[in-house]
Amino acid sequence: MPQFPSTEWFQQVSDIFNADESYQQAGGGLCDATMGIKVAAQSYILVFEGAECGDVRQVPEADLTEADFYLDMPTHEWKEMLRNIKDNNGADLDHTLNTLDMGKDEGLALTMNGDQYRQDFFYRYNQTFQYFFDASARIDTHFTKED
Amino acid sequence: MADSEQKSVNPQTAQTSAARATQRAADEADNVEIAPPDLSWMRNTLQWGTRAKPTKNGLTINALNIGVYGDIPDFWDDQTRKPRGAYPVPGVAPLGFEVREKHELWADNAADLYEEAIQRRWVPATDIPWQTIQPLPDDVEAAFCQLCTELSQNASIEIEVIGAWQQKLSYGFHEVKLFLASQMFDNARHFEAFRKRALSNGGGLGLESKGEINRMLLESTGGWPETVVMLHLLRGAFTFTLYRYGELFAHNPAEKILFARCLQDKARHIAYGLSHLRYATSHNPDKAIVFSRLMNIAERVFVRELNDPVLKEALAIIFGGGIEGARSGMLQYERMMGDFARQYLANMEYIGVPREAGFPQELAKLMEA
Repeated sequence: MPQFPSTEWFQQVSDIFNADESYQQAGGGLCDATMGIKVAAQSYILVFEGAECGDVRQVPEADLTEADFYLDMPTHEWKEMLRNIKDNNGADLDHTLNTLDMGKDEGLALTMNGDQYRQDFFYRYNQTFQYFFDASARIDTHFTKED
Repeated sequence: MADSEQKSVNPQTAQTSAARATQRAADEADNVEIAPPDLSWMRNTLQWGTRAKPTKNGLTINALNIGVYGDIPDFWDDQTRKPRGAYPVPGVAPLGFEVREKHELWADNAADLYEEAIQRRWVPATDIPWQTIQPLPDDVEAAFCQLCTELSQNASIEIEVIGAWQQKLSYGFHEVKLFLASQMFDNARHFEAFRKRALSNGGGLGLESKGEINRMLLESTGGWPETVVMLHLLRGAFTFTLYRYGELFAHNPAEKILFARCLQDKARHIAYGLSHLRYATSHNPDKAIVFSRLMNIAERVFVRELNDPVLKEALAIIFGGGIEGARSGMLQYERMMGDFARQYLANMEYIGVPREAGFPQELAKLMEA
């Protein structure tokens, strides 16, 4: 059972996402974007190329500058989102990425490079990223106790 | 080719049919006097032996830009419908394309956005779980139907605005023409989807919007970049913000998915606007001044239209969960308008036309909400 967050967790979700063609339909599909993830002190880069999430790696926080945008939430909110996705086999009305983004003063999708065009990739490929996290419903996630 | 298409054409049958047709023609040729064929046209090509290769995203439009086929001039010196790279034929009557300067329409991302639009398409009839819509209180349903009426109307306006310009854009910049065709199709989908929502839950269409911005867009004939700054950045940012809030306040999965899908499409449209207008201002610095002066007018027309209470009240009712909650809903409306203003100003900054100085106070103060 992979722990969230970890490279192993993102890789397992990525494998499910890449193997399921339904994620390429109904508003999913071609996506060229680099998404950063920040969970407390841990940062990750996920590279989406064409129809796949092709690269997953842990990086120092400063490297999030290479991401088109990055998602930043306190650990307990990440946990709540992922539990909701698991319980409902996909995000419910209150836990989609856009809804979570709207609920934060600074937003969920942030930028370290200040590039408005690239930050908008969050909206342009939003369904792909939603499908990615929804795919996590198909694995069992371990959270550390202090989460 | 899809499996179903492959199955529908039996190669052996096709070959047999072709052979029969050839034989029949040969039989008839024995009885008819036919001039020897002039095959000189076969030598008329600017570049032969081209072999475009598929990329990781398939055989894309950009992948075809090889040799002369990828020569995209700063000025398209041709007034015919000649595809870029085709052999010119003398004597073709001019068609009078107005937009021939590259900086007047070009965006480096146009071909990629076209591929994206095609590959990320969705189908309102079947990709929206319409069965999840449940009856709403009458006041909320009426407000939601009003929102859908205006969004549907705005989408149809976009089709007409872009359609009116399509025939004026030179063929040499086909990447842009293709992308804009896909945007028109997206707009048709948005028209369809919001009309379906309005007519599927016991309500009906509401009022036509006041339409001052619509008229301004439809009558924008001064230039394509000037139309883009109003259509993609001003109206675009407003529609984009409405979609975000529509997704946030959705009552059921159908509305959630409807707004989320439209949001993706609209973000793609804005991406063309940003890329094109940045290209325009960087290749023709005078454009930044033109845009600034133009938006001094357009923003004020926009503010005047916002004074119309219909959409404002409808949104306040949706955000407040009914007429009783509309007071708190109005605070949410002001927050939404602040988000719109920030998005719009960031877009204008991106294209090199900072707007803070001339920005209407009515909108500026909403950014404090």
